[in-house]
Amino acid sequence: MRGLARRLVTIVAAGLTVALVAGCGSSLEEDQQGAASGPVKVGLLVPKSGVYAPLGRDMENGFRMYLEAKGGKLGGRTVEVVVADEGGGPDTGVPAAQKLLQQDKVTILVGIVNSAVALGVRDLVADSKVPLIVANAGANAITGEQRSDYVWRTSFANGEVAAALGEYVAGQVKGGKVFLAAPDYAAGKEATAGFQETFEAAGGQVAGTELTPFGTTTNFQPYLARIQRSGAKAAYCFYAGAEAVAFVKQYQQFGLSSKIPLYCSGFATEGGVLKAQGDAALGIRTSLHYSDQIDNPTNKEFVVDYRAGYGDAPTVYAVQAYDAAAVLDQALAKGATGDAIVEGLKGVGEIDSPRGPWRFNDGHGPDQIYYLRETKKQGGTTVNAVVQPLTGS
Amino acid sequence: MPAWLGDNLITIIDGVAFGVLLFTIAVGLSLVFGIMDVLNLAHGALYLVGAYLAVRFAGDGQATAWAFLAAGLAAVVVGAAAGAGLAVLARPLGRRGHLDQALLTLGVALVVGDLLSARFGNDVQSVPPPAFLAGGVSIAGREYPSYRLAVIVAGLALAVLVYALVERSRAGALVRATVADAPMVRALGVDTGRLVVAVFAFGVVLACLGGVLGAPVLGAYPGLDERVLILGLVVVVLGGLGSVPGAFLGAMVIGQVEVLGVSLLPQYASFLVFGTMAVVLLLRPTGMLGRARKPG
Repeated sequence: MRGLARRLVTIVAAGLTVALVAGCGSSLEEDQQGAASGPVKVGLLVPKSGVYAPLGRDMENGFRMYLEAKGGKLGGRTVEVVVADEGGGPDTGVPAAQKLLQQDKVTILVGIVNSAVALGVRDLVADSKVPLIVANAGANAITGEQRSDYVWRTSFANGEVAAALGEYVAGQVKGGKVFLAAPDYAAGKEATAGFQETFEAAGGQVAGTELTPFGTTTNFQPYLARIQRSGAKAAYCFYAGAEAVAFVKQYQQFGLSSKIPLYCSGFATEGGVLKAQGDAALGIRTSLHYSDQIDNPTNKEFVVDYRAGYGDAPTVYAVQAYDAAAVLDQALAKGATGDAIVEGLKGVGEIDSPRGPWRFNDGHGPDQIYYLRETKKQGGTTVNAVVQPLTGS
Repeated sequence: MPAWLGDNLITIIDGVAFGVLLFTIAVGLSLVFGIMDVLNLAHGALYLVGAYLAVRFAGDGQATAWAFLAAGLAAVVVGAAAGAGLAVLARPLGRRGHLDQALLTLGVALVVGDLLSARFGNDVQSVPPPAFLAGGVSIAGREYPSYRLAVIVAGLALAVLVYALVERSRAGALVRATVADAPMVRALGVDTGRLVVAVFAFGVVLACLGGVLGAPVLGAYPGLDERVLILGLVVVVLGGLGSVPGAFLGAMVIGQVEVLGVSLLPQYASFLVFGTMAVVLLLRPTGMLGRARKPG
């Protein structure tokens, strides 16, 4: 009996192997022939589960909105979008990228919220010569000096968003010290370092830095007590998601918001978290490369269309993915193989984005305006009102 | 050291508030483990159910005392039903060891977590405290949110109630007797099966109530369930399994470690809780007030 079963298994396995090998062969041939004529496959790698799922939803909305406005074509070529779930981190995100590259054989990869996923995917895309357009992940090392031909970014670098705020805050506190707080992981450290560099260059002094355990801190009272004790004139923070809600609410509940003005990287008051913070968020000043309140014709039209399509105000995450589609629209006009798209990306000119005009810099990141925003009540809802541009391009 | 105390008074009070919140979460976990020998890994998910009940009843500008009362009543009903259901599900696994129970309850936790995010979305939800507790009071020159003081009062009341029920009532005596020697209680003619369902339901009701009570402090979002479960498990292990005073002591210690400890030694914030647990387990492997369990 057992011998028979084993032999059966061997035969079935052998049959399967033959079928698989044959299948692979034929799909490879198809790929090489079909590249010129068939639809271009875009792999959209965004979180559909886990803590970043709201960001993933906004990014998918932004990308699809641009695509639909162009009748499903980018650069004159029909585009087929394959979505994969990035999940909460590299343990789910990197395998999802591998699936898009190897099984779905996408021509371009777009998306990625988590920096660790982006850094894990960077070498994969270079090996398979598939261009990657990062539409959120902010690790400094994704672009700039360590850039790769195949990796481009339409979003931001953590350090840049924070650095944009340094000089302004130094001018506001007039010699007073500033306390820095951020979660204890790569993005938090890059943000505080970026802020500290421009802040100290403008004559500012740091009262202290608090790096809180990432992802496990729910009660910020001990850190808030340290900020109060330090005698700081103002505080800078980098938080996102649930931590941003808890930090901002507790900053108000423990009476700090009326005495020590709070400055943040804009993610702390962007999208869903701003709703959850309620009135506690009022008066916070942040730096970011987008706000749905920006007063330019492109943005006004974008906000109206986005609201009509998705029933809510657009976020920076939606714009970053919308612009990724705009970039591809230009790049795909040149060709639809991996290397042709890279050449196309090198030639992309100015993008007329809802965030204002921007273009790629030599480091493959966006050369863009950062805005100073202040959270204000407007007709019953809290918005990120634009105060002034912080840096010009 | 009056100067030191003045500086840290708020922090110590906050440690107490965090501690009583942890107690409401941990005591149910402790009782269920103590009496049924079931490690209920769905406990955190049921805390989150309570938190979302608070969102449903008291979120979006309808945060009145009545709304919180309604959320609390709903938590009792939902918690009792969910607890009884879990007890029935877990019963056939009684003889199959902890791993099978962990698989069952972890599965329930994942399903409940996904259902909640399907119903309420993945965004962070916050619940404002009831209007009359929305402000703050000044203690030693620092502002402290009134709601957290109310959490201390409500949590202590709950602790006294649970203590009276478990340690001073006839039903509680039966429960404790079952923890000590279930076959003997059965031999005396008591249906321990029904007792077990009741304790399970009671434990889960406490988790759901904890969720309602904690919602204005911790909010509600996917992933909060795991964080709450881990802290609850630490408290239970620290205090001793199946002991109400143990759970209270454990919660108070972890509350101070999480708040005062972090304030004094912020650079060790990530390690303080588990470091404390490791030290206590080295000195007293059964927990601070735990008794050695009878084999079998």
